[in-house]
Amino acid sequence: MSDIAGTKPALRWVVHASVLFLVVLWVVPTLGLLISSFRTADQISSSGWWRSLFPSEQNLTLRSAAPETQVLQNGMYVIEGKLFDENQKATISRWGISSRDVTAFVPDEVAELRRGGTITVSADGDYRMENAEEFTGKRGVRIFVTAELPSEFTFDNYHKVLLDQSSTDSMGKAFFNTLTVTIPATIIPILVAAFAAYALAWMDFPGRALLIAAVVGLLVVPLQLALIPLLKFHLSIGIGKGYLGVWLAHTGFGMPLAIYLLRNYMAGLPRDLIENARVDGATEFQIFTKLILPLSFPALASFAIFQFLWTWNDLLVAKVFLIDATGQTTVMTNRIVELLGTRGGNWEILATAAFVSIFVPLVVFFAMQKYLVRGLLAGSVK
Amino acid sequence: MKHALYAGVATFALMTGAVQAQEGLLHAVGEGSFDWDGFQAFGETHDLTGESLTIFGPWLASEGKSFENLVAYFDDATGANSSYVGSDSLEQQILIDAAAGSAPNLTVFPQPGLAANMAKNGYLTPLADGSADWIKDNFAAGQSWVDLGTFQNAEGTGAFYGFFFNVNVKSLVWYIPENFEDFGYEVPETMEELKALMDQMVADGETPLCVGLASGGATGWPATDWVEDLMLRTQPPEVYDAWISNEMSFDDPRVVAAIEEYGSFTRNDDYVVGNADDTAAIDFRDSPKGLFDSPPACMMHRQASFIPAYFPEGTELGADADFFYFPAYVEKDLGTPVLGAGTLFTVTNPNPAAEAFMEFLKTPFAHEIMMSQDGFLTPHLGANPDNYANDTQRGQGEILTNATTFRFDGSDLMPGAVGAGTFWTGMVDYSSGAKDAATVASEIQSSWDAAK
Repeated sequence: MSDIAGTKPALRWVVHASVLFLVVLWVVPTLGLLISSFRTADQISSSGWWRSLFPSEQNLTLRSAAPETQVLQNGMYVIEGKLFDENQKATISRWGISSRDVTAFVPDEVAELRRGGTITVSADGDYRMENAEEFTGKRGVRIFVTAELPSEFTFDNYHKVLLDQSSTDSMGKAFFNTLTVTIPATIIPILVAAFAAYALAWMDFPGRALLIAAVVGLLVVPLQLALIPLLKFHLSIGIGKGYLGVWLAHTGFGMPLAIYLLRNYMAGLPRDLIENARVDGATEFQIFTKLILPLSFPALASFAIFQFLWTWNDLLVAKVFLIDATGQTTVMTNRIVELLGTRGGNWEILATAAFVSIFVPLVVFFAMQKYLVRGLLAGSVK
Repeated sequence: MKHALYAGVATFALMTGAVQAQEGLLHAVGEGSFDWDGFQAFGETHDLTGESLTIFGPWLASEGKSFENLVAYFDDATGANSSYVGSDSLEQQILIDAAAGSAPNLTVFPQPGLAANMAKNGYLTPLADGSADWIKDNFAAGQSWVDLGTFQNAEGTGAFYGFFFNVNVKSLVWYIPENFEDFGYEVPETMEELKALMDQMVADGETPLCVGLASGGATGWPATDWVEDLMLRTQPPEVYDAWISNEMSFDDPRVVAAIEEYGSFTRNDDYVVGNADDTAAIDFRDSPKGLFDSPPACMMHRQASFIPAYFPEGTELGADADFFYFPAYVEKDLGTPVLGAGTLFTVTNPNPAAEAFMEFLKTPFAHEIMMSQDGFLTPHLGANPDNYANDTQRGQGEILTNATTFRFDGSDLMPGAVGAGTFWTGMVDYSSGAKDAATVASEIQSSWDAAK
């Protein structure tokens, strides 16, 4: 039998090209976010992340040392210094001392200061101000430079998000709170749904088809409908806002998909196997634990990934059922939104926090991804 | 296995709780020119040991931290156990919590419109008797703050619910003093001078204004502030009041004239950075950065007192950047109107600690501690202005206490569908050149009719 794809090279190229296109489409924004997380707020607002990869010519406003640092040399008052740090390799091409003309001079040219005296700036950023009279005032003069600067990255954002001890910026607590929400909210629905799915797939009882139809119907009901009534119910039976409430809510909201997915997978298992077990005298519970559960592992794992990612990324349910005014139960997603600041705009922190929060789902995904594709097909193919 | 899990979670919750407790105070007791006597007197008369207090507000990140510093003093004085939680979606979350009966003790609303709705639905508790009179006597332009904090309850009778705390002034123009020096410009004292200065800048080949209206879902709000500010500078305050209550129709020629006045500043390619049609695409948080470019992209930026938070890192206010009062026309003779906004404290779930905290907010000390941190202004006449963190903030505080007319941000007082809806989108349409002022105004009026 000849290779089917090989007979149509044109089609294969189209497939490859579209895959490549999709990969680029997804990777470019992610890469931008990653690079932005290593930049400062000022860098992010002044230039695009793609420019930060290469040395670039920039116009900077710098300031000389204050007049209090002046020294008397041969009857002249002198202020000397460097515009750049030791480890910054910048090359100045033009400079100026007035915002009227920021490229007025070339390096080593001498300029007259408005308040008396002269200044000269060399290409590597050394400057020297001279004056026959004493420099006055509190601040140094502004020096505008046009310079070629190497790209510069910082770990400050990660330090701030991960290690800062102040209560407003620390992510650590929110991280563990999120785990506290996510792990039970993944395990409980699987436990319940596996039993239900087995019953719906292999146990005969009246109304089974109707029950399945009801579950499928529930898939299309938006959970937003239930938020306030359910919260009122939780408050009236004394659960209140808290972890138990959010576990129950996630379990309930995840249940239709879980039952539907697992039932369809289990219904596809070979009938002979189950009937043989029944003939050999196995109880329903034994069939379930000894046969069905091990065979359904791909479906269980894929649902676990779904549910884990959805509860990990969830903000809405957590805000309604968990986060109360005591501030002890905030989750990662909520903390990330808060990091944006009162009026938004702390993009560098947002990018960093997004990468911190991506980390765990990535680990979970790669650990379990071989089941995902198998599980995705669960239910669709009999 | 589940039991072990619960136990683990419980232990963890206890641990984090213990770690969270005990934070140092911003200034040691007795240090600086704060009203420590008032602070100690408050502590002696209010013992709330064992009481807890929850506060829910709009401040996040550094602003949230500033407020937590104040809360720490309250706990220190009274022995209460208070916590503050900030949220950017307070507007939605408080509705859910109030409807479900799990509201925090105190809620800080970012604007009075939503609080008025909550009062109407019976979710707010009026403040203690005498609070309104206290505000009238102790706040600059006290009556206007009382009016702004008075809402109708479910029965339709008015009561005083909202205590304004943390006010910002919007009538400010930011500039770089050294740039003005380089070009020999003077700070304008009147609107006529400001317009002449802008023409001078254009003649010098410079761009006068940085304007940015984009703000995600709230795009357009900076333009509404412009129009309100210009309304106060072209019409008497009574007309402004009639406008925001819709006694005067939105398509009245006086409103259209104010919108066109705004257009005379921003609908001119010479006056604004970039294309005049594109101001709605520039983020308001990025727009002030043009002042600091080399060479400067623009010379001035009209924005509220909070905007220095978006100046480049390390900007020293008063030296690197400064502000002047957005001036009024001499020929109109309307005094010095000031446009502002602010957040208000309300009681959403009364308990003794909540009542005590509202009393605490009346002490000059509470205001002084906040003044000593960035971005806080107060109309409290008893608070010592020496405690402002810097001269810039003190100057803004003086604008607030010296205003002949103080008016609250009108779009915050209009119905939500207008003030946080069609007014914003209408201004975007106008600013991008899609529609003229009269069309925009009549569309906003018809949306207001529909909202009634």
